[in-house]
Amino acid sequence: MSKVYKANIWARESCGTIRSSLVVLGLPDLLRVFPEVITTMDNKGGPFLLVLVLVSSLLLCNNVASMPTCPSGPFTCRVPLGELFDRAVILSDYIHNLSAEMFDEFDRRYTHGRGFITKAINGCHTSLLPTPEDKEQAQKIHSEDLLNLVLAVLRSWNEPLYHLVTEVRGLQETPGTQESLGTPETLGTQQAPDDILTKAIEIEERNKQLAEGMERIIEQVQTGDRRNEPYPTWLGFPSLQVADEDTRLSAFYNLLHCLRRDSHKIDNYLKLLKCQIIYDSNC
Amino acid sequence: MMESARSTGVCVLLLFLHVHLLSGQSPPEKPKISKCRSKEKETFMCWWKPGLDGGLPTNYTLSYHKEGSSFLYECPDYRTGGPNSCYFDKKHTSIWTIYIITVNATNEMGMSSSDPFFVDVTYIVEPDPPMNLTLELKHPEDQKPFLWVKWRPPTQVDIRSGWLTLQYEVRLKPEKANEWEVHFAGKNNQFKVLTLYPGRKYLVQVRCKPDHGLWSEWSPESSILIPDDPTNADPTVWIFVAVLSVVVCLIIIWAVALKGYSMMTCVFPPVPGPKIKGFDIHLLERGKSEELLSALGCQDFPSDCEDLLVELLEVVDNENQQLVPVHSKKHLDQGLKPKHLDLDSDSGQGSCDSPSLLSSHHEGPQESPSTFHTPEGAEKPENPGKSGAHTWDSQSTSVGGRVPYFCADGPKSSTWPSSQPPDPRSSYHNIADVCKLAMPPAGSTATVLDKTDTCAPTSLETTETGAGEEATEQRGVESFHSQTDPDTPWLLPQENTSDVSAKPLDYVEIHKINKDGALSLYPKQDENSNQAEKPGAPKASKEYAKVAGVMESSILVLVHESPAPDLALFEEPAEEAPPSLQQNQEEKDRAAFAMAPSTCKLQLGGLDYLDPANLKDSFQ
Repeated sequence: MSKVYKANIWARESCGTIRSSLVVLGLPDLLRVFPEVITTMDNKGGPFLLVLVLVSSLLLCNNVASMPTCPSGPFTCRVPLGELFDRAVILSDYIHNLSAEMFDEFDRRYTHGRGFITKAINGCHTSLLPTPEDKEQAQKIHSEDLLNLVLAVLRSWNEPLYHLVTEVRGLQETPGTQESLGTPETLGTQQAPDDILTKAIEIEERNKQLAEGMERIIEQVQTGDRRNEPYPTWLGFPSLQVADEDTRLSAFYNLLHCLRRDSHKIDNYLKLLKCQIIYDSNC
Repeated sequence: MMESARSTGVCVLLLFLHVHLLSGQSPPEKPKISKCRSKEKETFMCWWKPGLDGGLPTNYTLSYHKEGSSFLYECPDYRTGGPNSCYFDKKHTSIWTIYIITVNATNEMGMSSSDPFFVDVTYIVEPDPPMNLTLELKHPEDQKPFLWVKWRPPTQVDIRSGWLTLQYEVRLKPEKANEWEVHFAGKNNQFKVLTLYPGRKYLVQVRCKPDHGLWSEWSPESSILIPDDPTNADPTVWIFVAVLSVVVCLIIIWAVALKGYSMMTCVFPPVPGPKIKGFDIHLLERGKSEELLSALGCQDFPSDCEDLLVELLEVVDNENQQLVPVHSKKHLDQGLKPKHLDLDSDSGQGSCDSPSLLSSHHEGPQESPSTFHTPEGAEKPENPGKSGAHTWDSQSTSVGGRVPYFCADGPKSSTWPSSQPPDPRSSYHNIADVCKLAMPPAGSTATVLDKTDTCAPTSLETTETGAGEEATEQRGVESFHSQTDPDTPWLLPQENTSDVSAKPLDYVEIHKINKDGALSLYPKQDENSNQAEKPGAPKASKEYAKVAGVMESSILVLVHESPAPDLALFEEPAEEAPPSLQQNQEEKDRAAFAMAPSTCKLQLGGLDYLDPANLKDSFQ
């Protein structure tokens, strides 16, 4: 069972990798490369197999997303909870690392030393959720509730991440950005949005994966009726598009700051829950 | 009155201020919050640096408010962290919340506040170093001994509940070394070190880092002495390895020395040395001064030239074949004499290589698969009858017209102008062949002509008069063996061009040398048959006046002595199978001669002496 789950996850990831690699290479480039490989290794069937595998995996990839993990229903095949948690923790750790890097990079290039933090106080849309603020509170709260909170936070970030990806692209094209900086770092502005953009795209993808994983965990952990925790809506989209440069940068700063914090929260909660549920608080 | 009172007041004030200023008292300078740290993500501490206190006792207070609340708090604990610090205990610590902290310095003169300091406990976690670092040297039975490093996490960090996850790093070094060897140990509480030098004292430290936090300081050093291993076999192993490698090196050197020369000349072809016309180094070596002198000055052939025809010249076409041209010094010298001039001008390379000759005769190897004169037999034992010197007459003409250059590889063919009219196929010996065969005077060391030399593309052409065929022969003079037996006739190896890979060797036996210094050559199949036929009187022979030169490395170009296309010299019995060297269709010769009467001759004429060194060059 776990293998099926893992295979599914792996298949999706490899499909994603293949897709992304194709995007990077460009399929024509790929096809151009292979004939050369084939001609150089005429007497071997290796390159043919390689092409075959690649093409077949591409074809299969299209079907992976629609392939259910448990075709017979959620109760017939179960991935062990421990593996689900391991997977979830790896994802949450990764997402937070990316968010922290993205924030640092943005701050370094656009807003460093300009006191944007003062405006970022109390600006996260998820602050309304009753998430625990220290260890005691986190240990007091019921694990199911905490899991639902985690899922709510994750879901609430779907839309902001989507808009972040869209708007970061516009960030580098704004000439005003470069003027306002006035530092030697302006030389690197062209690169920074690309790094930020790649990270944003990656975070968006992984966030969805983690949300799915959380749903599976909740399925297994939930004893009572399933209740859907309402998740708060993010309303900061208009300010990302505002014309005024400072306001726009402030909006980005806020968003990235909140993303860094919330991803850390999720990571921390999941590690707590893993030790609680799987190892009985004896990690 | 009033004015005086005012001025007095001002004076007093000024005096007062002056006194104060002189005494150095002032309001305190702005303090600065240096850093905040949390050891376990449950409490945290902040430190500040006071500014100048203005000479008065200054009181510092820390005040803060949290994100989302405007309520101003004061530092709950100024003592735990030491002077100029504030300790926030668990009750006062909230994670994922920004604290806005300011420090105020107050003295009698005034007060100053620091800039607000924003801190979120989430990102300032720096634990204590790990504790209880223990070192243990273990000696498992079948394995090398290793050092087992163990430690405990710092006390305050809560790992059990998963609130914090630590990763560790170990570093060690021998006591006297400068660089630490750092190892990442992951989440384990132990680590095994395998790379140890016995007999040294090692220092070990460990540190930790929470996920998304800062590295701790290094723990205090622990040391351990690795005992010497008496049964250590390493030195003997090293001695054994060293001896073995020395032996191997000696073997290699010996092998290189044996074959060194051939290898070296293969890799680094020797530079052709200077040569003197008609001067044979080998003659010098042998001490035959008579021949030497005669080579220099004497123009006459000995009356009886048959004695001089001693050597067989083997010309081999393929790469792998070896040609053994042997020929007597005497007639070689004499034969070569007339050609000294041009030869020298080419530094021994012979005009065979000259572009003028080559350019006009470029024909691809595909031109026609060279077929030997003696396709009937790849060899020429069929013409034992051929003997005598074949003079190469304006082979220059024949060759010049269409000089087939003979390159060793490929279906190149050389045509030897032969005086065999009945031969349907004309084979022209390549001038290059001639050149090459012109060779080394007696005693030339055997050199292997490397057929793979890049010759100019050989255009083989047999000038055919009537038949229009092209008989191409491949031939290359592969090697010239040192002349050990002066009596062995010249062998001009001829190859069946149709059988390039099969490498038939055709030898042309040098029958005699005539007055003109022409070599009369036997076509010969191989050495054995050559030897067998040697005693027999050659039935026919062609006379070649002289060796024009050696071309590339595999072709000896023989030139007929007579300037005019004198085909009378060519005599071949009809029954003779067309040998490669000597045979040629007369018509073809004529035609060939007619074609380029003059071009080749000049060049060929000079190719009378070939420096052995050149041959060596080309051959190896």
